[in-house]
Amino acid sequence: MTAGGIIEECGFKALCLPFPDRNVSGCYIGDLLSWVMGRAESDNVWVTIMSNINTVAVASLSDVSLVVLAEGVTLDGEVLRAAEEKGINVASSPDASFETASKLFGKV
Amino acid sequence: MKELSLNILDIAENSVKAGASEVKISLEETDETLKITVSDNGCGMKEDFLKSVTDPFTTTRTTRKVGLGIPLFKMEAEQTGGSLSIESRHVELYPENHGTTTSALFYKNHIDFIPLGDVISSLVVLIQGSPDIRWRYTHTLPHGEVSLDTDELREVLGDVPLSAPEVLSWISEYLGEQYAEAGA
Repeated sequence: MTAGGIIEECGFKALCLPFPDRNVSGCYIGDLLSWVMGRAESDNVWVTIMSNINTVAVASLSDVSLVVLAEGVTLDGEVLRAAEEKGINVASSPDASFETASKLFGKV
Repeated sequence: MKELSLNILDIAENSVKAGASEVKISLEETDETLKITVSDNGCGMKEDFLKSVTDPFTTTRTTRKVGLGIPLFKMEAEQTGGSLSIESRHVELYPENHGTTTSALFYKNHIDFIPLGDVISSLVVLIQGSPDIRWRYTHTLPHGEVSLDTDELREVLGDVPLSAPEVLSWISEYLGEQYAEAGA
């Protein structure tokens, strides 16, 4: 599925969607950024509650196709600008990581 | 990272890459705080680069000179209510006393404080990787102090390299004994 399609089907809110047609394959969940950096794979959707500038950097490095911020977390102005600049798809989910992942299950 | 000792390893690797001949790692610990300082006599950083090292994007992917090490270290300090500071003197402007000092303050009682972890292993890895550098380590604890100076070891060892396995395991035991005495 595409990043845009996932956001629509799961009822997430798009915060930054420069590449809605990017393919999403597989999912990684984690909040310890250095840990995620070595484990999230290219094209994954990454579910996390971390929303600082380093989140965008890790998303860029690991080449995930969509970051889903769980528990209704959003991006502040500076981080949002960095996500736009670096071409990172970011969405927000009102639910906790487990419920968010359960919505993703079977779709990625 | 899961242990601050891995951050120390990462920051000290920057000193190695900067061509330092001496690296000082000092940990000052009270019941409430932990201050980690890595200072070196390497080539230092120019002012505009220094300003950018806490920004993960100037360093990742295209150039990858420092990596995400400093941005993550800063974040880990700040999430305990602490802070990170870096001072640097570039070799072109300070031919005599160039180098970089990175210092991070952590509040240990904050729930998001990451434990120090196995700092002895980090030191052994650093010494093994760069045995010609003078490594000076001090860890001041509330009830004691742990220290190591590889130049002092070199005097005793003579021609035996610091990276010899038996020397490294001796260093590891020596530090472990000091920690036991300091009640850590």
